[in-house]
Amino acid sequence: MASSTNDARLDSSLLLLLERTREVYGYIPEHALIGLADALGLPVVDVYSAATFYRGLPLRPHGKHVIRVCKSVPCYLKHNGSIIHAVERELGIGPGQTSQDGLFSLELVNCIGACDRAPAMMIDDEVFGDLTAERVTEILAGYR
Amino acid sequence: MKIEVILNGAKVHGSLGMTILELARQNRVDIPTLCYHPDLTPIGVCRICVVEVEGCRTLMPACQTRIAPGMVIQTHSPKVIETRRTLVELMLASHPDVCLVCDKGNDCELRQIAGDLGITMPRFRMKRHYYPSEDAGPHVVRDLTKCILCRRCVRACHEIKKADILAMGYQGFGSKVIAGRDQPLDAEVCQSCDVCISVCPVGALAKREDVERRSYRDCRDGVRLRRTGESKGVPQSHTFSSPHEGEPGG
Repeated sequence: MASSTNDARLDSSLLLLLERTREVYGYIPEHALIGLADALGLPVVDVYSAATFYRGLPLRPHGKHVIRVCKSVPCYLKHNGSIIHAVERELGIGPGQTSQDGLFSLELVNCIGACDRAPAMMIDDEVFGDLTAERVTEILAGYR
Repeated sequence: MKIEVILNGAKVHGSLGMTILELARQNRVDIPTLCYHPDLTPIGVCRICVVEVEGCRTLMPACQTRIAPGMVIQTHSPKVIETRRTLVELMLASHPDVCLVCDKGNDCELRQIAGDLGITMPRFRMKRHYYPSEDAGPHVVRDLTKCILCRRCVRACHEIKKADILAMGYQGFGSKVIAGRDQPLDAEVCQSCDVCISVCPVGALAKREDVERRSYRDCRDGVRLRRTGESKGVPQSHTFSSPHEGEPGG
């Protein structure tokens, strides 16, 4: 989080601007972070602090499709580990990485609100529940 | 304006605006603290200083809670001690077991508090974060593996030095103190004022000359164990080398 000693108003506009930056670039490039710090009169480290805190503000470009596998407790109890393994095996990448063809990025996220269908994941804005390793293969094939 | 408060069963007087911690220290009641530092704004993140205040739903951080007339405070009730002990055990759960070879040694505040609370073998075990020791800067050697996230360095950099180089970054178990653009604490970002080192309660921040001096140690067979490598930002390795003239002994 941005340091508590800074102006709260600046901090709140910082978050909006970071979000807007992500909308424009798809991620938060370094020059934008430095530019925002400059424009808002904030220390660069505070802008980094805010940007690194939120999973929704990636500092590296994502793949075309972002796969978000839920790592919260309900999904964990429904063995989401095998789902994560299945996705990793299919794409050859680990959490936080992007596949070489630039098609997929994999992220582990907190609750996506699909506990009733655990284990669950999202691909872009679409939610997939009651997953099995086999279904993961089928679903991913549809995106290739 | 004088305020009457009951501290551990005794009537004591404090002034308006005083915190429970200040009142306790004035009355020679020892409340342990970690993130609190007299020269820095209290932020109450470590919770070690929690006390029981009658009528409050939760334990209150003594460093941040101001006294009010008629407050009934217990600083060492069983509930308080148990809470402090659990908090320290949780901190130790992700802290490396390297006290015996840590440069901070017996000056470590975490170690002192753990000792005072009678904590011996750790109850909790979790995967630790191992960060490479950073020695890229001219003065500061940083080992985030030992950091307990008290944010004293962050506040000292902001409030005392007004340099704003340090801040908290990332979230959850990945939280760490970041410098500049999350880069090594080298001459480019750090002005090497040492103020962060002076406030660090554990061995996460140290002066380069101290680390180097203490790294020279006599071995039984007369060979000196010397920390080698001037390489920047790379974890240093220990190698044996023959004794030099004029090297400070350990």
